[in-house]
Amino acid sequence: MDWHPPATLDLAVSARETLTMASFAAIRGKEEALREAIRAGYGAELPYHAARVAGVGITFVWAGPNQWLAVAERENGRDLEAELKEQLAGIASVVDQSDGRVVVRISGPRARDVLAKGVPIDLHPRAFKPGDVAITHASHIGIILWQTDDAPTYEAALFRSYADSFAHWLFESAAEYASTR
Amino acid sequence: MRIACPHCGERSLDEFLYSGDATVRRPDFASPTAMDEFIAYTFERTNPAGPHRELWYHAAGCHAWLVVTRNVATHAISSVEPARDVALAGKPETKDGA
Ligand SMILES: [Zn+2]
Repeated sequence: MDWHPPATLDLAVSARETLTMASFAAIRGKEEALREAIRAGYGAELPYHAARVAGVGITFVWAGPNQWLAVAERENGRDLEAELKEQLAGIASVVDQSDGRVVVRISGPRARDVLAKGVPIDLHPRAFKPGDVAITHASHIGIILWQTDDAPTYEAALFRSYADSFAHWLFESAAEYASTR
Repeated sequence: MRIACPHCGERSLDEFLYSGDATVRRPDFASPTAMDEFIAYTFERTNPAGPHRELWYHAAGCHAWLVVTRNVATHAISSVEPARDVALAGKPETKDGA
C-alpha cells in the first residue's frame, strides 16, 4: 500500500502483506467432519460465534454462519487455498482471499477512539476484546474486525481495492490525536 | 432502530436491508392457477397495523437472511430468527404475524 500517514500520527498502521488467506464454508451435512478435520489438522476448535481462534501456525476467524477466514504467514511459499483444498477435500468449499483482501493492523492507545469514529459497534473493552470478531463496516467500507491485544491492537480485513479509501478515512480520523512534537 | 442479529448481536439499521414480506411463499409455477397465485404473491399485501413478519438481510454483517417479527406501529421487535431455520422448520407463515 502506498500510504502517507501524517508524520506525527500516534498510531501504528500497517498492511500485513505477508499473509496467505482463504475462506471456507462447510458443505451441507459435513459440518461435523469439518470440525474434526480442523481439530486433527490444526489443533483448533472452529468458532461458531463471532470469535477468532488460534491453531498450530494458523488462525481461524469466524466470517458468518458456517463460514471462516483462515489466516497464516506466507512463509516458505505457503498457500492456504491449496493447503485447505487438500485438507478439506469433500467437506468444505475453499476460496483464496490472499489478493482480494488485505489485513490492516491498527495499534496504539488511541486506536479504539479512532476506529470508533467510523465503526458502528461498541468497541469498549466490556463489549469487544481480544479474541472477539465483528463483521461490520468502517466509514461504509465492509470489514471483518478483530482485536489481538490490549494495546489495543485491531486488525481489519477488507477488500483490497478499498484499502486507500480506508487509510484516508483512518488518517483523517486520527489527525486530532496527532502529537505536536 | 436496532436489530439483534442472532449471529452478530445488536446492530444498527444501516447494516440491514429490508427484503420483503416473510408471510408470503412463492407459488408453484406448474399450478393451473399460477397466474392468479403469482399476482397475489407479488402485489397483494395485508398491511397490518401491528406485528408483522419481515425478511431482513444482514448486508453489512454476516450476510444472513433473517425473519424479523416487528410491530410496524411501534417498531418494537419481538423476535429475530435465521430465515434458514424458519424455512427448515417448515413453519407455516401466517398473515396475522403469529
Ligand atoms: Zn448478522
